[in-house]
Amino acid sequence: MSDSEKQQEAEKESLPQWPENGGEWSDGEEVTNMDCGLLQAMAEEDDEINVHNEETFGMDHDATDDPSVVVLQFEDPLPPPPTPPPEPKPSSRSSPHSPPKQRPQYFLRAPPVQRGRGRGLRGGLGRGQMFEDPAVMRTVEGRPSIKTLDSAILDLGNTLSQKTFEDDDSAIMCVIDGHRGRGQHLTSNFRDVPCPASYYTGRTGELGGSYPRTTFDQRGPSQMHASMVVGSPIFSRQPLTPRQHYNQTGGFMHCPSTPRSLPSKMMQLRFGVISPRPSAFYSPSSNPVQHFRYPGPVTQLHPQHKRLLSQKQRIFQRKTEDWDPYCNLMTAKEKEWITRLQMIQLQSENPYHEDYYYQEYYRRIEAKMAEEELGIRSKREPPKLTTPYIMKTDVYAPVVHIEGSLGQVAVSTCYSPRRAISAVNAVHTLGPLEEQKDIKQQRLEVLSKIEKLFMVLLEVEEAERMKTPLMSEAEERSVMEKSQGKVEHIYSQLQHHSTLDSGVEFLPFLLVSKGKRLLARLLPFLKHDTALKILSIVTSNLPALMSRDPEAALPVLYPPLRNVIGGLAFSQLIGVLKDLTTYESLALACQNKFGLSLLYALLSQGEKLLSSGVPLEPSIGDFETWTDTIFQVAGQLSESSLVEPLLMPSNLLTLFCRYLDKRTVHQLKSNMESATGYLALAS
Amino acid sequence: MNYVPGTASLIDDIDKKHLVLLRDGRTLIGYLRSIDQFANLVFHQTVERIHVGKKFGDIPRGIFIVRGENVVLLGEIDVDKPCDTVLQQVSIEEILEEQRLQQQSKQETEKVKMLALKDRGLSIPKADNLDEY
Repeated sequence: MSDSEKQQEAEKESLPQWPENGGEWSDGEEVTNMDCGLLQAMAEEDDEINVHNEETFGMDHDATDDPSVVVLQFEDPLPPPPTPPPEPKPSSRSSPHSPPKQRPQYFLRAPPVQRGRGRGLRGGLGRGQMFEDPAVMRTVEGRPSIKTLDSAILDLGNTLSQKTFEDDDSAIMCVIDGHRGRGQHLTSNFRDVPCPASYYTGRTGELGGSYPRTTFDQRGPSQMHASMVVGSPIFSRQPLTPRQHYNQTGGFMHCPSTPRSLPSKMMQLRFGVISPRPSAFYSPSSNPVQHFRYPGPVTQLHPQHKRLLSQKQRIFQRKTEDWDPYCNLMTAKEKEWITRLQMIQLQSENPYHEDYYYQEYYRRIEAKMAEEELGIRSKREPPKLTTPYIMKTDVYAPVVHIEGSLGQVAVSTCYSPRRAISAVNAVHTLGPLEEQKDIKQQRLEVLSKIEKLFMVLLEVEEAERMKTPLMSEAEERSVMEKSQGKVEHIYSQLQHHSTLDSGVEFLPFLLVSKGKRLLARLLPFLKHDTALKILSIVTSNLPALMSRDPEAALPVLYPPLRNVIGGLAFSQLIGVLKDLTTYESLALACQNKFGLSLLYALLSQGEKLLSSGVPLEPSIGDFETWTDTIFQVAGQLSESSLVEPLLMPSNLLTLFCRYLDKRTVHQLKSNMESATGYLALAS
Repeated sequence: MNYVPGTASLIDDIDKKHLVLLRDGRTLIGYLRSIDQFANLVFHQTVERIHVGKKFGDIPRGIFIVRGENVVLLGEIDVDKPCDTVLQQVSIEEILEEQRLQQQSKQETEKVKMLALKDRGLSIPKADNLDEY
């Protein structure tokens, strides 16, 4: 008991140190308990622990409706001090906890100042009244404050860190009941938010250390009591302890009062419950990946118990200057409200579309983690934002553009504060002739067209992505039709660009790197003949494209074009090759990654077709052109120094072997290999 | 401890000491007590800090409520970190005087500039409020 004695001394000493202005928080109401802030908080925690244990272990006790009855219970004779618990805990721990239950009897003989708060058993604590057993927690009645009477203003900060979440509580986390009044079911509301898992774990780390530092904490449970009393259908009795509303799912309502004589085991276990934690003193862990672990009822109590005790001891030595009397002005309920609001703003039915960067980032992280750690993946899942689906009741256009006006009107509401007004594009009404004369204007037009068409392309890709197996045939068909219409629109827009000269179709867009990207992403959606057109445009204008490619964006076209080539028939292939094999093209292509890769791809396709045995249906002169091309290409390849292609097809050497002599082939091979740097060609 | 992972929220900043720069150029330092969805801020034990050159002065202001749209930036102050700056704290009167002098000299240079421009036939309209567009 030496520890408890020490504690008692410390308590005695620290009591007078608590600043008097702690009473300010209770809006100037009764003064008696001001000095007992610390003990009050501890007593509250005690209550909570008590309730928790009763719930956990199914203690039978008389439920009482009447505070006065509860008071009477205090006057029961003190049970004998609990024996040290069989659990592997230091015996010093047991004693502090058992007497608390007995303590209150001394104080509740004083008029129990219920004041309608139903706070649980709190006796009026006179100043200087100390526990005989210093380890005994004193239950002190909290001060009713304005906030306690207004059920709308409630502080959940203390309660939410309680550990009594049982596993089935997590099952109710999915739905936020928007209809519930503010005064009701606060914990379940907050718990329903699936995101703040880390919040809980963070809080579990903090035990008795900080709560005595502020009497705001005292408001919390009492406020919750008030709210529970006011609003809750479950709680029918007055003296609710702070713990009780955590246990809504448990439906356990039978223990209204805290200070009861519990068997020693219970008392020890009580201390495992995490006490309320004001957010001000919570040091958030720098690790964002925290998972809320529902603590087991028994096993995790011991270390926390230990921690609680040590922190309580530390409290007494802590300087009062560290104490922030104004913290928790913003109650947890209010924080929850804002978080919920933010989540409503964030929720969307198409997150990939509206929050692309976050979704992509998260997807990449997950992919990386899945690669790295298949075993312990469950531990390391990064917290993902999952917004609960909250019905948005009012649908409105937050930004209204009135025709003919220069600006926009923004409606700002709770859910959509300060919606940004985009600059309204002034519609240029230049005549077509005037447009063409200005080259800069033309380029701007090309760029803006690319942007617009990109938006359409994004829609097409979105539709493609949204094709789930859930869609019915008819739905899918209609979606496909719409997409196809859009694709055709993009294609026609790219094709018929009004230029001064009847310029090459598509070329202005191909010269812009974003245009290349647009076409590359469009190609998979195009039908074969239209795609072939693009391919032929590319090959016929290859020198221009290669020379006017400062950002080296051409390779982005390679994969889709390769797919197109893969579907070419022989005569089509010959046609394409013809364009490519002008001397100029060929020479330049060897120096350009994209050009060379394209060339290789075409040759590879030809070889594939020839060796596949499928009837080729060649046009007249095709084979001659083919062989001529081979010789020409071979000659060029062996002469010029080659760059490394994007992809080296494997059947090129076979092709060359067929037509050329061994020496030339060997020379070719060495030339090509030197570019790639490795023996890529199978002989 | 982010309630809403993947997003930024001011909730973690509650009850911490912050420095906020307002759109009108004022610098406030105080404890952030409350926020709302518009990022309106409630500051407690606020101090307006005026910087002139290497000197600064703190004017205690009490409780401030800042409308969210007027915030340029907001940053948490680490109270534990040792404050080793070259800045020298002076009294309020002194810093106000310094500020007045600074404004005065700025106005004078501006006047000279305008005069010079006028002589050359140029006139640059003064942007009184940079935010208006």
